[in-house]
Amino acid sequence: MLSILRRFLGDRSSGQIARKRMQFVLMHDRVDITPDMMEAVKNDIIKVLSRYMEIDNRSIKVNLEQGEDFMALISNVQIKRVYRHAH
Amino acid sequence: MAGKTIVVTSGKGGVGKTTTVANLGTTLAKKKYSVVMVDTDIGLRNLDVVMGLENRIVYNLVDVIEGKCRKEQAMIRDRKLPNLFMIPAAQTREKSSVTPEQMKELCSNLAAEFDYVLIDCPAGIEQGFKNAIAGADFAVVVTTPEVSAIRDADRVIGLLEAAMLKQISLIINRLNAKMVKRGDMMSTEDIISLLSVPLLGVVPESEEVVVSTNRGVPLVHDRTSKAGAAFRQIASRLNGDSLPQDGDGADGFFSRVKRLIWN
Repeated sequence: MLSILRRFLGDRSSGQIARKRMQFVLMHDRVDITPDMMEAVKNDIIKVLSRYMEIDNRSIKVNLEQGEDFMALISNVQIKRVYRHAH
Repeated sequence: MAGKTIVVTSGKGGVGKTTTVANLGTTLAKKKYSVVMVDTDIGLRNLDVVMGLENRIVYNLVDVIEGKCRKEQAMIRDRKLPNLFMIPAAQTREKSSVTPEQMKELCSNLAAEFDYVLIDCPAGIEQGFKNAIAGADFAVVVTTPEVSAIRDADRVIGLLEAAMLKQISLIINRLNAKMVKRGDMMSTEDIISLLSVPLLGVVPESEEVVVSTNRGVPLVHDRTSKAGAAFRQIASRLNGDSLPQDGDGADGFFSRVKRLIWN
């Protein structure tokens, strides 16, 4: 009963939390990309994009996502404005 | 005739490798196959106590490999089943006293004489693990529904794939159906989708396991035990038998899960 109430209030069950965490951890273990390396990838993406547009450095997100039989790098970047000429 | 050589491994310690080897070995022997179990956990042997054979050890795995005795001299016959044998690990030696090549040779010699060679692998992924998998054609990975065990299982599966074993399958040990129902434990489906290897079976969490290891008598001897029934089903699947969907003991939730996976 308590757990139903908990879930109703938007709390995820610990089993679900474990599954989500493991999805993330195993993906990183398998591709052997360290958090440091992900940070470096993120910084390089910022550097390249910054030549063409003004972006919100704090909003940028870089994540790996697991599909059925592929892995994807997904990056979300907020653009403030696009330059007329590359810097 | 060459038998099947199967390594039972997990990465993490304490998830039930030795219990699995003892129960699968015993079940296969009860089915009249000739079986030898090899404990490769040098320095931390345990298969002998789980089988209740600790008083009969004279020679061990390292003695065989170093040529101090013939392999027949190190094989200890089970107390109940005349076609079940165990080769104990050495307790006071280093893991480095055995090489993968030597294990390969021993396994192929054993497979020539036995229907099943079951290898009990040490925890970890270092030398002992490499030795244990060297001579194996098939691997059974044991995990529990806990994050640490699952992560280690995934690492081990990666290494087994790299080592080109013929087949890798999974046993989920100590599943607590009540906790799964409540949402406080990862389910069989969750674990399968995370690890993406075929499921051999699920063993429910049970106090009987502790009792049987206390006694040194494998659980599968007890016809009333649910965990024992799960091990018997797993042994049948390992043997390639058409799968008994519930039969002895596995009912309700477990058999539904199994049907979902196997059909």
